[in-house]
Amino acid sequence: MSFRKRNIGLSTGVDRTAAVNGTSQPAPVSAAPESVPGVRPSPDDGRPTTSTGTPSLDNLLAGHGGLPIGKLLLVEENGTTDFAGALLRYYAAEGVVQDQKVHVVGMPEQWGRSLPGLLGPADAVDDKQDKRKGERMKIAWRYERLGEFGAGIAGSRAPVAAGDQSQAAADPSVDKRPAFCHAFDLTKRLTHPSITNLNYIPLTPSNEPLLTSTLKRLQAAIASCPPSTVHRVVIPSLLNPAIYPPETSQPDNLLPFLHSLRALMTTSGARITTMITIPLSLFPRSAGLVRWMEILSDGVIELCPFPHSSDALGSSGAATSQEEPPQGMLKVHRLPVLHERGGGSDQNVGQDWAFTLSRRKFEIKPFSLPPAEGDKEGQEAAASGGMPKKAELEF
Amino acid sequence: MPTQPPLPPLLTPYVSSLPPSSLTLLSSVLGATGNWLVLRFLHAALSQPSTSDGALGFSDSNNGKKRKVVLVSFLRGWEFWRAEAKRLGLDLARLTDKRQFAFIDGLSELFAAPPTPSPSHTSPTHGAVPPRTVLPLRSQPGPVPARGPQPARPVATPPNPPVSREIGPVKRLHLSGNGTSALDGLERDITAVINDLRTSTTPGDEQGETEVLLIIDQPDLLLAATGPGRGIGATEMGDWVMGLQQHIHATLLTLSADSPLIHNASAFAHQPTTPLETEHAAFAIGSAHRAHMVMQLRNLETGAARDVSGVLRVSKGGAWGQSSVDDHWEEKEVLYFVQRDGGVSVFGRGE
Repeated sequence: MSFRKRNIGLSTGVDRTAAVNGTSQPAPVSAAPESVPGVRPSPDDGRPTTSTGTPSLDNLLAGHGGLPIGKLLLVEENGTTDFAGALLRYYAAEGVVQDQKVHVVGMPEQWGRSLPGLLGPADAVDDKQDKRKGERMKIAWRYERLGEFGAGIAGSRAPVAAGDQSQAAADPSVDKRPAFCHAFDLTKRLTHPSITNLNYIPLTPSNEPLLTSTLKRLQAAIASCPPSTVHRVVIPSLLNPAIYPPETSQPDNLLPFLHSLRALMTTSGARITTMITIPLSLFPRSAGLVRWMEILSDGVIELCPFPHSSDALGSSGAATSQEEPPQGMLKVHRLPVLHERGGGSDQNVGQDWAFTLSRRKFEIKPFSLPPAEGDKEGQEAAASGGMPKKAELEF
Repeated sequence: MPTQPPLPPLLTPYVSSLPPSSLTLLSSVLGATGNWLVLRFLHAALSQPSTSDGALGFSDSNNGKKRKVVLVSFLRGWEFWRAEAKRLGLDLARLTDKRQFAFIDGLSELFAAPPTPSPSHTSPTHGAVPPRTVLPLRSQPGPVPARGPQPARPVATPPNPPVSREIGPVKRLHLSGNGTSALDGLERDITAVINDLRTSTTPGDEQGETEVLLIIDQPDLLLAATGPGRGIGATEMGDWVMGLQQHIHATLLTLSADSPLIHNASAFAHQPTTPLETEHAAFAIGSAHRAHMVMQLRNLETGAARDVSGVLRVSKGGAWGQSSVDDHWEEKEVLYFVQRDGGVSVFGRGE
C-alpha cells in the first residue's frame, strides 16, 4: 500500500516534466511559425488545431487550445434562443478572417452577410480588459488564467517561474505571430475581402436523397480547392423543420450523412473542421437518433439557456457587479480527442459551466451559485409570523 | 513514457486469453468510450511475449500458438488506431507487414457510391444468396485465390511497404444493396481478409495453430444507419456476427449502450419508441446473451472526477460456462483512469 502512495508521487513528477515540455513548447513555435494562418499545434500533443472564434470555447476543448483539425463539434441548444447560432457565426467569421474556406450548408447568403464584425485579435482585446482588471483587487491570482493555453499543463509547483517564462515568451511573440483567434462584435457586420469566398451549399431537392446530394456537393467543393486549404463546414440548425424536409430526420438518411462527413474529415491530407448545431427542443437528447448523432461527433456541448423568469437569479449569479450575469448553463458531454482515448482526465470535465453572450464575446466560465440574498426576508418573515414567540409558548 | 504497464495487472486475466469460439461484448457510453480497452485487447494478443509481459506470467497462455488480429472499425479510421497503438508500443503498420494484423476500414467508404470494380466481384458471384443455414460453405477456400492479386504482399515485392504504410493493406468496406445481401457482401469481404491472414505465413515461422481474434468495433452503426427501410434489423445483425464467428477463434464486439438506445425500447418508456431504438436494444441484449463475458464501461454515477475516467464492470454473459475451458476470472467492478499519456490505471473502489 505504501508503494502505491509513492507511485502517486511519481506520477505527479511526470506531470512536472510535462509542464516543462509545455512551457518550452511555445519557443519552437515562435521560432518556426506555422505556414498556415489560423492553425497552431496543440499544446497537449502537437496536433494541428484551429480556433473556434470564441476564446473561452477554445480553452474548454481538453487542453488543445482550439478545435483539432478533422474533428466535428456538435452544439446542442435547448429552447428557442439562438446562442448556438452566435457560436456558429463566430466560428464562421474566424474562418473568413483566417482566409480559410468556409462552407455553409442549408443557409441563404443572408446568413453570411450577418457575420459579426471584426474587432481585432482576441489577445489584444483581452489585454485592454486585463488592464482594467489589474486595478481591481486580486484574490488567488494564480487561478485567474486557469484552463487557458498552457495554463492547464503547468502544474501548481513553481507557478511563478512558469508564469514568467510564458509571459516572456508571449510578449515578443504577440507582434510577430499572426493572431490565432479574433474578437468580433455582434452588432457590426463583417467586412473582409475574403467574405466573398464563403461557399453556400443550398438544399435543393433532386432525385437523390437530400443529404446525399448535399454531401456530394460538399465533397466536390472541397476537392476543387488546393490541398493546403483549411476548410470549415458550418451546418446551422441541422434537422430544423423550417430548413430541412422531414425525411432528413430518418436515421437511414441522417446517420449515413454524418458517417460520410466523418469519413471525409478523416481522410489523410484533408484539413477540415465542422461545427453543427441542432435544436434540442425538437430532437431531445433522450432520443436514440440524437444519441447516435452525438456518438458520431467528436465533441458535444449542450447549451441550456436560463428562462426569462430566472433573471433575478441570473443577476445575482454574478460574483461582482462588474461581471455580467450568466445567461445559461453549458454542459460538456464529450470533448474531441480526450473522449476518443477514454476520457476523463481533463480538469474541465465535470465542471458546471455558465455562458454569457455579450455584444463582444461569448464567454464560458465556471458557474457558481451566489450566496442566497433573498434569505433575509425569509428569515424576517419566519421570525415575525411563522415561528411562535417565546411568550406564546409559555403554558 | 507511460508510468503504468501497457496492460494493467488487474485487467490481464480478462483480456489476455479468450476461450475458443467465444464472443466478448464490450459496451460503452458517450462519455466513456471503449477504444482504450480495445487497444488493450490488441496489445494482449499482439505484443511479443519476450518483452516485459513475459515476466508477468501470462506468456504461457499463448502456449505456442500464433495470434493474429483482424480489426474491423466502423467509427474510426486507420490513422487513429495506428497512432493510439503506437502510444502503447504496438506498431500496427509493421505488424500488418508481418501479416499478424489486418485492419478493415468500415469508415471511409462505407456509404460512398460504390466504384465500378467493387460490385463486379461481390454481387454477381452470389447473385442468389443462399439461405443462412449454408453459410459454413463459404469458409471453404474458394474466395482466397480470387483475392490473390489484390492484397498487398509486402514480403514478396519490395516497393510495397511504403505504400502499405498508408492505405495499402487496408480493406475498405462498402455497403451496397439491401438487407441480408448487403450484410453478406460485408461478411464476404471480412472473411476473405481473415482467411488471407490465417493462411499467410512469413518465412521463418514455425508451423503451429493460428488463432485469429476478430474485433468488430461498433457494428451497431450499420444497424442504426440502415434501419428497417433497408431490411437490416437486429436479427440480421445477430446472424451476421454469428456467421463471422464461424471463421475465427474469438470475437470481440463493441457496442454503444447509452440509455436512450437501450431503455427507450422498454414498454415502460415515457416516449414513443423508434425502430432505431428497439432494434438497437434487441441487438445489444441479444449479443449480451450470446457472449461469454460482458464488459461494460460507464461514467461514474457520482459525477465526473479528476482522477477517475469511468467504471468498468466485467460480468458473465449468457453463454458463460458453455465452453469446456475453465474460466479463470471472476466478475468484478473496478474504476479506471486514462492518463494523458495514454497509460491506464485500473483500481478498485477506495484503493
